[in-house]
Amino acid sequence: MTQAAATATAASKIYGSGDSEVRALDGVTVAFEKGRFTAIMGPSGSGKSTLMHCVAGLDSLTSGSVTIGDVQLESLNDKELTTLRREQVGFVFQAFNLIPTLNAMENIMLPISLGRHEGNMEWINKVIDTIGLRDRLDHRPSELSGGQQQRVAVARALASQPAVIFADEPTGNLDSRTGGEVLGFMRRAVSDLGQTIVMVTHDANAASYADRIVFLQDGKIAGEMTEPNPKKVLDYLKHLGE
Amino acid sequence: MFALSLKMSLARKGRLVLTSLAIILGTGFLSGTFIFSDTLSRTFDRLFTDVFRDVDAYVRSTNFIEVPFGGEQRAGTPIEALDTVLSVPGVKDATGDIQAFARIIAKDGKPLGSDNGPPTFGGIATASEAGLWTVEEGRLPKGPTEMVMDEASVKNGDFVIGDTVRVNAQSGSREFTLVGIANYGDISSPGGATFALFDQATASEFLLRPGLVDAFLVQGDGSLSQEELAAGISAALEPSLRLETLTGLQIAEETKNQIGAVVGFLSTFLTIFSLIALGIGCFVIYNVFSITTAQRLRENALLRAIGASRRQVTTSVIVEAFIIGILGSVLGFIVGIGLSRGLSVLLAAFGVDIPTSGLAIRGERVAITILVGTIVTLASAVFPALRAGRVPPLAAMRDTAIERVGSRKIRFIIGGVIAAAGVASLVLAAAGVNDWLLGVGVVGVFTAVIIYGPLIAKPVALTLGAPLARRSVTGAMARQNAARNPRRTAGTVAPVLIGVALVTAFSAFAASVRSEIRSVIGDQFGGDYAISAPQNGFGGLPVSLSDEVAALPEVAQATGLGFATIELDGVGRFVQVINPATAKGLVDLNMVQGDQSTLSANGVIVSNNRFTTEGWRIGETLEMKFVDGTVMPLTIEGTFVPNGFFGSYVINREVFAGTPNSLFDSIIYVVMNGGVSEEDARAALLAVSEQRGLGALQSREEFIDAQANQINQILGLIYGLLALSIVIAVVGIVITLLLSVFERRREIGLLRAVGMTRTQVRLTVVGESVITSMFGAVVGVVLGIFVGLVLIGVLADDGIAAFSLPVGSTIVILLLAFVIGVIAAMYPARRATKVDIMQAIATT
Repeated sequence: MTQAAATATAASKIYGSGDSEVRALDGVTVAFEKGRFTAIMGPSGSGKSTLMHCVAGLDSLTSGSVTIGDVQLESLNDKELTTLRREQVGFVFQAFNLIPTLNAMENIMLPISLGRHEGNMEWINKVIDTIGLRDRLDHRPSELSGGQQQRVAVARALASQPAVIFADEPTGNLDSRTGGEVLGFMRRAVSDLGQTIVMVTHDANAASYADRIVFLQDGKIAGEMTEPNPKKVLDYLKHLGE
Repeated sequence: MFALSLKMSLARKGRLVLTSLAIILGTGFLSGTFIFSDTLSRTFDRLFTDVFRDVDAYVRSTNFIEVPFGGEQRAGTPIEALDTVLSVPGVKDATGDIQAFARIIAKDGKPLGSDNGPPTFGGIATASEAGLWTVEEGRLPKGPTEMVMDEASVKNGDFVIGDTVRVNAQSGSREFTLVGIANYGDISSPGGATFALFDQATASEFLLRPGLVDAFLVQGDGSLSQEELAAGISAALEPSLRLETLTGLQIAEETKNQIGAVVGFLSTFLTIFSLIALGIGCFVIYNVFSITTAQRLRENALLRAIGASRRQVTTSVIVEAFIIGILGSVLGFIVGIGLSRGLSVLLAAFGVDIPTSGLAIRGERVAITILVGTIVTLASAVFPALRAGRVPPLAAMRDTAIERVGSRKIRFIIGGVIAAAGVASLVLAAAGVNDWLLGVGVVGVFTAVIIYGPLIAKPVALTLGAPLARRSVTGAMARQNAARNPRRTAGTVAPVLIGVALVTAFSAFAASVRSEIRSVIGDQFGGDYAISAPQNGFGGLPVSLSDEVAALPEVAQATGLGFATIELDGVGRFVQVINPATAKGLVDLNMVQGDQSTLSANGVIVSNNRFTTEGWRIGETLEMKFVDGTVMPLTIEGTFVPNGFFGSYVINREVFAGTPNSLFDSIIYVVMNGGVSEEDARAALLAVSEQRGLGALQSREEFIDAQANQINQILGLIYGLLALSIVIAVVGIVITLLLSVFERRREIGLLRAVGMTRTQVRLTVVGESVITSMFGAVVGVVLGIFVGLVLIGVLADDGIAAFSLPVGSTIVILLLAFVIGVIAAMYPARRATKVDIMQAIATT
């Protein structure tokens, strides 16, 4: 087995207490391997977004532990967590991924500028060429289409060559054609550029771009699938729902 | 709908309180001014009611001269007429009264009482029941070497009966034996003034002129009304004495009115500044409502979509403004009670020491404050409210709300027209057409700058933010944030801009006056030392002092310079009084014709300007009327060009010799003999001046500095009064930043997610705040210097020739704006760092 880019061990996240207690995550143990594209699927309320947020260091667990690379997140304070997110983690959200006052290039460079680093320009140029938006780099987000915005967001996530990129329903707001473009681009980032991506989705078609799918239900791991295709995924989901 | 609006407003308590803050401070200042003035009036009313409580009639001279810039100087009353008054039926008792300048010197050699505080009086202590003073301890003064003092002065000066006390007055500096302590009715020291009291003969001779008192106080025996008594006295007095008799009520009323005029002037002055504060509050309220209606675009659009009418949406905003107006004004009035005390302290700090007792809070003042506050708030909210109503229901479905700058073209044209009108008025004002054009022009230019605000906000913010942007990505984001909503930025900047422009204009004006005084005195005064009387007090240095100084072996030359009031062509005018025998080289007039050193006791030197415009000729006589009513024909013996601040007429001090008219010197200029060391010179001069409580000794440089810096006092007061406006402007920045942070919480959450530290979040907000405040400061300074230039231009005829750039103050203002930007950002920045990442990036 290849080395893990990020892991969760016995991860639990509990909201409220007593009768109103909700176990969003209930003892989840999972590893996301380096250089692979993993999708997390599950019905609404299954805890897939919570799992992602906790592994990404945006939210904290009630119990259990999370590592990114060889760093254990529970031991970090806010500042160390922020630095870790900036240098080791990339994010793509469903919407509102870009700062409206910055142009596309500035948005891509944002994590690097925040860390006051030079950045690997050779790498960044390669990323920009891969997303194919070189001629739009000085445009503000409001001047880009939804698909273009998401591609810029992916480029930003890649720019600092993080250990792992988390994508939360990155195509949720896009039509299937533009969504396909973005997913294809993420696929290439893993296959051609050797990056690690973890994507949360409820779309079987999107999930089929991944190398491996982890299914979540009621805050627990419900199953796994490798080399998925849309039909296989839909069948599995159907079976899961029974 | 009203109930709904009410509920919606109350649901946003935090914002309600913040917005109220602007109006609380503005109305607080206004009501503080009201309470302060009312308290002052009441204090003086009570004082003079007390003072004239036992006076049934008041006899005084009908000769007086109106002093330029207010007040009057009245001639003395001959004491020999007192017997006539005493013999009038119905008169129980009568006495002479004097309230003239006299300063008691404490044991440390310093005069009692402050230079700018309550007056220092000399007067008469008498056994007569008509007198105002009663001796509590010791006995009445008798003869030329005895005095009594008011109780408060005895305490302050740490005197005991039997002490030798030095007192300075018109006739010089003398020592007396303290034989008693007196009270003024029930009070020990009315209004905080000091009183040195003598028997009538000594008082007349030492304080005024022998045989003269200021007036007679008459007490009736109760058989006649005050009117009948006054009429009886009037009839008994020789018409040739030119005396008039007032009832006790009349003189009390007249005195109150005179003081009322001073209080009125002060309260107008303060009201102007409180209106500035309110106006700045308007901008803040307008801006807050503009921002919140923009942020609530979708909420309002939803209301419209589900069937609310335009008017209902507009009304909901107006209702909120109404609540804020009432709430803010009521709280403002309460704040005003505290501020009225603050005003007392502020004025005292700048030398206007006014005694007040208790607080006068009048119902109608409460009503006016609340009314003004509410109207101002409503007026500020009208445009944002109308804009809220104009929201198309479709906007509910759109994604983001962007504030639009109305039509740039219309804005450009309107601003241009107002700017042109403003500048035209200023040009006309500078040309001397009409002085009120100056006010119109200044208001016009300010308005134009504010109208242009949203047009220039973006480029100015981008330019000012450029240095920040080069340093870091946080700087770049701060710069973009400051520029992203030009209208909002302009609205936030306007109050800062107005405040800074006013401060700069006053600084520029003061700097010009200072340098003008410097050059005028530098040109005119050629001595080594100056002994000067306190500038703001009444009285001055006895004329004999200059002769005493001149007689010192260390002194080569000394001359006194005084000012007096005369009447010419029925108008009171200042004249400069010199001693031509000693003035040469020390007080140099720019003579055009004639020679100042040969100015005779019957001569006058007039300004060349008046000489030409009046068509006078050398040798022609001018009929000058003096305070005692005598008219003297003075021959024009020369002409001069008055530089700066000295009047248009110069006469010889001999004119006053042998007349009952008072004359003090304001300044004595001194030249030392060669070879006298500075130490010896100072010691010799101090012995006759400061050590006797007479004036202040200053070297040439010290004197010029002191004269030039006199304006700093009033400038300090103006700064103090403008401070509150600046505070309101800062509150405006705080509110805008808070609303912006709230609006951008998703953006901040995203930034935090991709690795922005809390410190960087904070720096971004601080950067935006600093750019905004610097925007206001830079444009304000430019505008202020422009207004200052115009002001100096308009006043060029009044003696201020050159404009001086207030470099120091400008640097301080810019630094201060930077600090203010940082301070204003503190709380909003803290709020920004507390943004919860999870909540901010949540999709729904």
